[in-house]
Amino acid sequence: MSRTRTSLAVAVGLVLADSSVVVLALPEIYRELDVSVSAVTWVLVAFNLVLAASALPAAHAARRMGPARVTTAGLVVFGLASLACGLAGDIAVLLTARCVQAVGGAAAICGALELLPAVSGSERAAAVHWARAGTIGAALGPGAGGVLTELISWQSIFLLQVPAACVLSASLLGAAVREGRASTIAAEIRPAGRPHLSANAALALVSAALAAALFLVVLLLIEGWRMSPIAAAAAVSVVPIAAFATGRLDLGSIGVSERAAAGVILLAGGLAALALLPSATVLATIPPQLLIGAGLALTLEALTETALEGRAPQAIHGGWTIAARHLGVVAGLLVLTPLFTADLDSQRADAEQAGTAALLDSRLDSTEKIALAERLGERLEAEGDKVPVLAPAFEPLPEDPDERDDALELRARLQDELDRAATHSFSRSFAVAAAFALAALGAIALARGRPSL
Amino acid sequence: MVVLSTLIALGLLGTYLALGGSAYEPTEVRDPCQPRPWREPEGIEESAEQFALSALDGAACELQVTRETLAVAIASGEGRREFIEEYGVDEARLEAAIRAGLLRAVDDAEEAGALSPVVAVPLRAVFERIPVEEAIALIEDARAIFEDVRGLLGREAGFLDDPGGLLRDLIP
Repeated sequence: MSRTRTSLAVAVGLVLADSSVVVLALPEIYRELDVSVSAVTWVLVAFNLVLAASALPAAHAARRMGPARVTTAGLVVFGLASLACGLAGDIAVLLTARCVQAVGGAAAICGALELLPAVSGSERAAAVHWARAGTIGAALGPGAGGVLTELISWQSIFLLQVPAACVLSASLLGAAVREGRASTIAAEIRPAGRPHLSANAALALVSAALAAALFLVVLLLIEGWRMSPIAAAAAVSVVPIAAFATGRLDLGSIGVSERAAAGVILLAGGLAALALLPSATVLATIPPQLLIGAGLALTLEALTETALEGRAPQAIHGGWTIAARHLGVVAGLLVLTPLFTADLDSQRADAEQAGTAALLDSRLDSTEKIALAERLGERLEAEGDKVPVLAPAFEPLPEDPDERDDALELRARLQDELDRAATHSFSRSFAVAAAFALAALGAIALARGRPSL
Repeated sequence: MVVLSTLIALGLLGTYLALGGSAYEPTEVRDPCQPRPWREPEGIEESAEQFALSALDGAACELQVTRETLAVAIASGEGRREFIEEYGVDEARLEAAIRAGLLRAVDDAEEAGALSPVVAVPLRAVFERIPVEEAIALIEDARAIFEDVRGLLGREAGFLDDPGGLLRDLIP
């Protein structure tokens, strides 16, 4: 029973990790498949959009055809589509495969929710396990994808999911066969009640904030601060660790509304703190990430519990929560991506002005300033849209100790201006994400005391 | 629990604000029309640097752009063409602004005690009609103004017929 529960939780985590797993691989995919930035963003958006759209039909299928069969079939489809993603040679094939992957994934997670009560002891415990697995999966996704991209390739993210999906579907095959032989499925079908609107609305808003928490932090570390994907993966592991640790706390005596509200406040506080980073160091991101991880665990679990509590069938209402969450992720991506892209451009211009001012005001002599300006210009051109690494432009350093000190001082100042610009580029997006999270408080207040809505 | 979460969130935000989080952005460049006091001139190199920066400030102020934008613009022919296109400035206005910049630099140098008033007067006369390419060359390397003002004046304006005359004695 425990093994089945673990298999189901891993299946949910695996599928929901896919909603964020490619974020660190996007630059590689963009380069290798020779597509535009907006096209490559759809590798992320398409999965979340199709997952949201297919969650309810998948939940109905689980009810009518049997959850074990639908979960197993969903995992098989998910695995085959993952294989196609890993072998895709162009963006059209990749996007098509991602859509199929999302359909299979929706079937797997909605079926899993219907199966979990039998192995978790109660519907409430099932809802908690299901939500927790999804939260940890989604939070682990960017880091895992980053490590695989750097160590192997972006294709390996998808190809490694194939054996995982095979093992998981094989572990459920017995249940699916038994279910197929049973004749009681139709008798278990109960009419689905209305979804919990305010809890699902809050889930959508929190998920829009989650998109920022997971995607923007990773982009800030890699694109803004020029960290390697592995280093960035290690840095963002704080979120899933905090989520996992918070999930282990015994908070059962505290009401779901209070847990949801406390979680949203921590999430909003963490995101707002990221908008106010006082330095471009990983250390400064850790306290906000701790708040985000703890906030996500509290609020996603509490809201999922609220959305599912007393509602049958679980799969249908779980389908609603999946639809709400992933529509929220898509909305978050669609709102925040253009915002930080525009801010990157404007901050780049500000950094160029500040850097030029630093160069002009430096104590280097005019000949050296002009030569350095040319070398810096070459670096900017060579790095294209990326935040440049300036150190090579300063090589070789002057031999005269005073001139060397002046050059090093200027290099540090220019780097500081770049770090400031890269960090500030994300500030508005993090602030908007914090506003998404705070907006969820309104929905949580509405959800309070209306469990039967 | 809500109160505790609020306190934790506010505590973190307060800490980040106290550490300067709200001001962690690229340093704002200064208004070129505002006076920019010279660093203590310590010889020809230093004075030449300050002169060039004052000239850039003066020209940028005339054109209502930042000193940094103008410095990039005049660094190359391509930069100049892009600047003219982007800001809708014609060549004549750009040249007039660069000359105005040189005049402000002379004023600033005189005020800082780096140039004698006796030298400043003929320099102004020269800079009012100096060809723009030579004006840009002077901004990029203004050492000639402090190293060899007699040669500069003679070369640019035929101002000194007698290199051994009065000005030689008055150069600081």
